[in-house]
Amino acid sequence: MTSSPQRRIDVAGLVIALILLGLAGLIWWDMTKLQILSPYDLGPKVMPIIVSLGLTLLAVGNAIGAWKGDLPARDSLDWKPIVLILGGLACLIALIAIGGGFMIGTAILFAATSTAFGRRAFLMDLLIGAAIAVLIYLLFAKLLTLSLPAGPLEHLL
Amino acid sequence: MEAFVSLANGLSVAIQPMNLLFALIGVLLGTAVGVLPGIGPALTVALLLPVTFKLDPAGSIIMFAGIYYGGMYGGSTTAILINTPGESASMATALEGNKMAKAGRGGPALATSAIGSFVAGTIATLGLTFLAPYLVDIAVSFGPEDYFALMCVAFVTVSATFGDSPVRGLTSLFIGLTLGLVGIDILSGQSRLSFGIPELYDNIEVTTLAVGLFAVGEALYVASRRHVHEERLEAVRGSLWMTKEDWKRSWKPWLRGTAFGFPIGALPAGGAEIPTFLSYSTEKRLTKYPEEFGKGAIEGVAGPEAANNASAAGTLVPLLTLGLPTSATAAMLLAGFQQYGLNPGPLLFAEQPNLVWGLIASLFIANGMLLVLNLPLVGLWVRLLAIPQPWLYAGILVFATMGTIAANPSPVELIMLTVFGVLGFLMRRFDFPIAPVVVGLILGPIAESQLRRALSISLGDPMVLLQSPISATLLAIALIALILPFVLKGLGRFKAVED
Amino acid sequence: MTQFRKGLWRSALAAAAVAGFVTSAAAQMELKIMAPAAPGGGWDQTARSMQQALTQSGIAKSVQVTNVPGAGGSIGIAQLVNNSKGDGSQLMVMGYVMVGALLTNKSPITLDQTTPIARLTAEYEAIVVPADSPIKTAKDLAAAIKADPAKVTWAGGSAGGVDHIAAALFAKAAGADPTKINYIPFSGGGEALAAILGGKVTAGISGYGEFESQIKAGKLRLIGLTTPAGKATADLPSIKAQGIDLEIANWRAVVAPPGISADQKKALTDAMDKMAKSKEWQEILKAKGWEDSYVSGDAFAKILAEEQARTKDVLTAVGLVKS
Repeated sequence: MTSSPQRRIDVAGLVIALILLGLAGLIWWDMTKLQILSPYDLGPKVMPIIVSLGLTLLAVGNAIGAWKGDLPARDSLDWKPIVLILGGLACLIALIAIGGGFMIGTAILFAATSTAFGRRAFLMDLLIGAAIAVLIYLLFAKLLTLSLPAGPLEHLL
Repeated sequence: MEAFVSLANGLSVAIQPMNLLFALIGVLLGTAVGVLPGIGPALTVALLLPVTFKLDPAGSIIMFAGIYYGGMYGGSTTAILINTPGESASMATALEGNKMAKAGRGGPALATSAIGSFVAGTIATLGLTFLAPYLVDIAVSFGPEDYFALMCVAFVTVSATFGDSPVRGLTSLFIGLTLGLVGIDILSGQSRLSFGIPELYDNIEVTTLAVGLFAVGEALYVASRRHVHEERLEAVRGSLWMTKEDWKRSWKPWLRGTAFGFPIGALPAGGAEIPTFLSYSTEKRLTKYPEEFGKGAIEGVAGPEAANNASAAGTLVPLLTLGLPTSATAAMLLAGFQQYGLNPGPLLFAEQPNLVWGLIASLFIANGMLLVLNLPLVGLWVRLLAIPQPWLYAGILVFATMGTIAANPSPVELIMLTVFGVLGFLMRRFDFPIAPVVVGLILGPIAESQLRRALSISLGDPMVLLQSPISATLLAIALIALILPFVLKGLGRFKAVED
Repeated sequence: MTQFRKGLWRSALAAAAVAGFVTSAAAQMELKIMAPAAPGGGWDQTARSMQQALTQSGIAKSVQVTNVPGAGGSIGIAQLVNNSKGDGSQLMVMGYVMVGALLTNKSPITLDQTTPIARLTAEYEAIVVPADSPIKTAKDLAAAIKADPAKVTWAGGSAGGVDHIAAALFAKAAGADPTKINYIPFSGGGEALAAILGGKVTAGISGYGEFESQIKAGKLRLIGLTTPAGKATADLPSIKAQGIDLEIANWRAVVAPPGISADQKKALTDAMDKMAKSKEWQEILKAKGWEDSYVSGDAFAKILAEEQARTKDVLTAVGLVKS
């Protein structure tokens, strides 16, 4: 686990430790609002206390590791595909939330992901995605009689 | 002997052409829905309940049983091929199975899972036939303290999924435990970590977490590294079938997996997840090829798959003998029985022997059918990996989101899937193991509620954990499993010094 | 268990769609019924059965069942009140459990915001003990609780649910402190039943249907049902007839969204009146073993208000609701 020989402080590792510490604090704060109702029950607070304390210790452990630069080496990161995929997912969520149906969203998600993986045929993939969505819709809605979030396109079928 | 006669009678019911047809339809449907993540056998049985209302009870219940077993087979296929466990029980399979598939060994992985499922299903169904009345007494005598002790055993073995850094492994586990806190605490009725969002009151869905971490997280990770590390998938490298070596390495895990799956599946609160993880960690400890674990060890597929299927048969023990549904599918089977005015329970064997034994016999038949159906399909399935990478991952994401939407068409569920996907990506990037998160989510709430129940019953006396012989034994096993590696290490050092 | 809930939930949609094909030409009404819960459970089955009865008897042309699961119905009722205001074709199945869940979940939406239509069915709670228990009657159990409530452990459903409330009411009626009952909630799927059968707890409390086959097989002893005293039979003793003043029913009902016109309310009530009398509905009740407890209109509104008040008292007493 000592992949970086020069032992530089790993900033990302410190951030992780901080996040864990924050999570521990959040659990503790949430725990303080709970009450013990039954005189015989150990109560709902014990588990959050254990988890919170455990996370605090692990935050320290992670911080020490980061301080020593003990984290495994990481490749450089290409943000573009991540943004594309998450954007596709966001489109799907938004379309379902506003009642746009899942088909358009699914088509966009398919095309966005395939673009993220290096294909340069967005329109073509949009069509493929739409075809898959129609197939899934027919399979789920007509054959299995499951109701999927419907929008304008779904009502046409 | 009585069981033999009854079973023979049952076989004569099950091999009636109509019932064979029902069994066939059942296993086909079950495999199909098991392959789709988010849609499992429970849903399928539920879908068919109103349709089968007018059918003959024996036929439709035989079909439901076929769906149950078929779903177990199908669920592992997606776990192995596209790292998308269709159900929480096939999560352990995904760990090694998907690594095997990526190394071009998808064929043997699918084969060992199909044959292992058959072996385990057959042995477990035999167990159901002959041991059910005895097993059920033990199952019912399992109290909350015993379940807590069982969870302790499971927790100790989680470390097998930790990878090479205990700190990072534990961090993953505690993130899982944190997620397990979310929702209404069943024992006090108060909500924890829900921040007033009603959608969070019902706890986090295990499949949403698993699909998010495994499938979405992986897609993000692979996409982010394409510029430095082009992933190349080879559909088939070497033999498509299991080699002699594969057989040699598989048969013991099959049997051990069955030994975990059947009894734990028979426990009213046992479930399928715990035996699969116990099997995984046992195989990791016992293997002669520890260096292969994490890179695609066949033992890591054979064991959990056997455990998964054996637990399905185990679930039928309390269902048929007591009318206790202990899994979602069992609950739907119960609804199926009730639809025909049959009440599973102590009287069912006496009142409806033909039906019960016909069902048990058809389980054997369904198992055989599944093997015959699945093995020829292996070649076809692995071709899926030959789909161009952009389409493969786009398809996986569509699959993952569709499963989630079909399960719960609320945007909140999809947002959770996305958040877990990002979490899975970050954990891969910073080399945190993924599996302990899911294990924490599953085990944490069970361990907590069973301990609290045990202490409520004993009025706060912790000695209850040691007074129950089952609990005391399990705790001793947990302790030994915890200490043994250190002792062995110490001995090893001692020996090394002596040399 | 959540997976279980969701699996069931999906099935309801499916079942709804299947049943939807059975339509009658004579009908004119098009209804939507929301089950604010997972399928397989009581509310969903009720919605599906209503769909079957309404369409087969020709009272409605089509009935669409939707499921909005979550938080004991809190999510479903929020959707009914916020999104369906004034919609005269929308109904929501609900039940006694929702009364408690809305209180314990501190839901901003209350049942007062809905338009009560009718109560349909009721299931009584049963108190059982393991077959070899020294406790034989409700009096024995009451005496044990009065002597030391801590030593009498109850197994039942989730905290704040109807089982919990009934156990607290039993203790109160027995003259013990309801806050001191040792009630242990179990998740569904037979876990509580296993604990009772295994003799891990003193008594179990749940809907009678959960215990029926075990009682008949002699593995559990029925102490009594929470039925009115007049309903007691030799096989099904009433707790009230044994001198413990406890009467509670896990009823199911339908409500409509807020803001519907008087005509719309009347149309919905008439449809329910007709359905309750229909041959199809009566057959379903018989097949499912549901007790007919039909009450509609203002009488139901009054019952709903009374149940809310009583439940709030009990839940406040056990600390789940702050007064």
